[in-house]
Amino acid sequence: METVDVLIIGSGHAGGMAAKILTERGIRCLMLNAGPVADVARDAKKTAAYDLPYRGFKPPGRLEHVFQANEFNTNVWVDEQEVPYTFDPAQPYNWVRVRLFGGRSLFWSRQSFRLSDFEFKAKTHDGFGEDWPISYAEVAPFYSRVEEIFQVAGAQDGPPQMPNGTFLPDDAPWSESMQRFIQAAKPRKIAVCKQRRAEGRDGLASSVNLLLPDAEKTGKLTSVANAVVRQLTLDKNTGRVDGCHFIDRLSRREMQVKARVVVLAAGTLESTRLLLNSGLANSSGLVGRYLMDQSYGAGVTCSVPEARGGRTTDKLMGGSAIVPRFRNIKDRQVNFLRGYALNVTSRKGALDPRNFAAYGAELQRKMDEYNGSAFYMTMMGEVLGRYENHVRINPEKVDAWGIPVLHVETKYTDNEVRMAEDAVTVAAELAHAAGFEVLAQNAVPNPPGYSIHEVGTCRMGDDPKRSVLNKWSQSHDHKNLFVVDGAGFTSAGWQNPTMTILALSMRASEHLAESMRRQEI
Amino acid sequence: MLRREFLWLIVPGSLAPRLLLSQQSGPAPPPPAPVPWTLGLNPATPLTHTVAADAVATTELHFFSPAQMATLTRLSDVLLPPLSAMPGALEAEAPAFLDFLIGSSAAPRKQLYLEGLDWLEREAQTRYRRSFKELTGEQIDPMLRPWLRTWMTDHPPQESHADFINIAHADIRTATVNSKRWSDAPISGASERTPVALYWLPIEPDLGGNKAACAAAPAVDAPKSEHTLPTYPR
Repeated sequence: METVDVLIIGSGHAGGMAAKILTERGIRCLMLNAGPVADVARDAKKTAAYDLPYRGFKPPGRLEHVFQANEFNTNVWVDEQEVPYTFDPAQPYNWVRVRLFGGRSLFWSRQSFRLSDFEFKAKTHDGFGEDWPISYAEVAPFYSRVEEIFQVAGAQDGPPQMPNGTFLPDDAPWSESMQRFIQAAKPRKIAVCKQRRAEGRDGLASSVNLLLPDAEKTGKLTSVANAVVRQLTLDKNTGRVDGCHFIDRLSRREMQVKARVVVLAAGTLESTRLLLNSGLANSSGLVGRYLMDQSYGAGVTCSVPEARGGRTTDKLMGGSAIVPRFRNIKDRQVNFLRGYALNVTSRKGALDPRNFAAYGAELQRKMDEYNGSAFYMTMMGEVLGRYENHVRINPEKVDAWGIPVLHVETKYTDNEVRMAEDAVTVAAELAHAAGFEVLAQNAVPNPPGYSIHEVGTCRMGDDPKRSVLNKWSQSHDHKNLFVVDGAGFTSAGWQNPTMTILALSMRASEHLAESMRRQEI
Repeated sequence: MLRREFLWLIVPGSLAPRLLLSQQSGPAPPPPAPVPWTLGLNPATPLTHTVAADAVATTELHFFSPAQMATLTRLSDVLLPPLSAMPGALEAEAPAFLDFLIGSSAAPRKQLYLEGLDWLEREAQTRYRRSFKELTGEQIDPMLRPWLRTWMTDHPPQESHADFINIAHADIRTATVNSKRWSDAPISGASERTPVALYWLPIEPDLGGNKAACAAAPAVDAPKSEHTLPTYPR
């Protein structure tokens, strides 16, 4: 069997970008993906809830920790019984996974933000944690190219903590409800900006339509579906990784491949699980440490009084905004570190019945009255990187292919809890100042993992004793091993991580291609 | 090296095609029947039209006790009665569906319902010395209203009684709105629509059936036959 140039494990945003960059530079890549190719024409059909076995309710006993699941999409997520993970019941973790080709790039909210030096140099700013070994200026050109590929729409209206980029211009006027919200935020020096969203092509912004086709066009990419990787292999003479063992998901046949370079892109925790199960890249002892994400779940639901009683109009309602982090930018203002963003949405549609403490005919009257007046604010809060928040292998339990599973030990601390309380207080203040009625509010964060933004556990840094990867997403211990997904994050930020994962995968892959050309790897 | 490539190397050009041909097509086995059984289904084959079983059958009740079911039925009727053209929870057979759904669910959800329904019945006896199922809407209202809350997705109230009332209310509504009866009614105003969306079928399901839950079931050997048939390794 021939040795491939580069073995890429995972096919989502991170693996898709690596495949595109490497193959376009003439490098032969083999991509292994743990699941099948999803074909919407073959695998999905338009169905009414009453025609489903559970009337649209999430089938009981499956996906208890995937709050996003319903009966329509149950079969796209990784089954918690097939690939279990463990945790202390008092500290639950929501691990939300997709193993279809394209991974979670098939299903994401497409919010597209850059990190700034408030994240890359966070320790310099406030003393907590570690700085990344790279600065915003180094990553900015890669963000621009990613935004071009993903067709990110937005306005050039960001403050320094939300750098502007290469956007399809969004110059749509604000609706009147949004203008009132902006006016309420102004005296509090809170910026309200246009949302930034990847438009993609043909309604999809995924690895499978924006990245993998380019790689396939080169003729240099070979992909294998249903390849569940058990372990990376090491050449003991050279200290380099030299391939992997994998299992065919359907037949359970054990197989192996050899490669000159391995690029891990299986998604933060699967990449880390693979390293831990392989006993690799861990001279620092930090593989699995500093698990982070963003805290979601806190927010308020409001109603715009002028839109009630059938008076809602397109001029009054509609549109969405992002309030970038405003806490702890210029000075220490509050009883927590870092900060949060608010997603703000004005909507003409119906309000959910749970926004009214009523039932029967009274509830119906309220729903009719309030129809078309919804105004939502929800929090995305930075979770601090802490050594104690970690994953490790649980030697007692294996998945359906006999591979030892992860034990997740992580919890939110006072910092995240206070941040959520502050977010709800501020959101309610802004709503009142804008003349909106607050219908429901919640300051309790969802369990860690819920945002599907898990990052860290192989953080990058200059010091091999204090980090797992160097600034090129390359293992300090094995020069031909790269981890290009969210595992390399040194801090999480409040921003959705996708643009940063894509930019860093692009940057690492170009560095790898250049190193291979110079025969340094 | 593949055997076929090996042949290309040693066999003179003119002979090779015949040899390969003979390698590929041996004498065909005799047909097992007039029509080979794998043939027939094709893209033009008509698809039989089916309906959800709810349209023709009722759910057999297994989980709640008759008393609990009576309480759930009365509660469902009060929380979501028929309003103008829309069917109520009873027309949508929401209580029977919930007997199935809650009975299939994990222990905490079962407990929430069992305790909640028993509590309502106790309250009815305490307040009115009557069963909950016999109470009027006016009598039930003061039992429910103190516990009604507004809440955000994934964060129902934690407080005892408020948790049951609000979660059951949401479940009863969903079971009703997602029913065929609701879907067939002429929708007006801000009434919720029955969701119609892309349903993902199992995508190349795991052939091993080796999920933890399945693997836990003991394998049962097929009973031995008294008649032995000749066998050979395949």
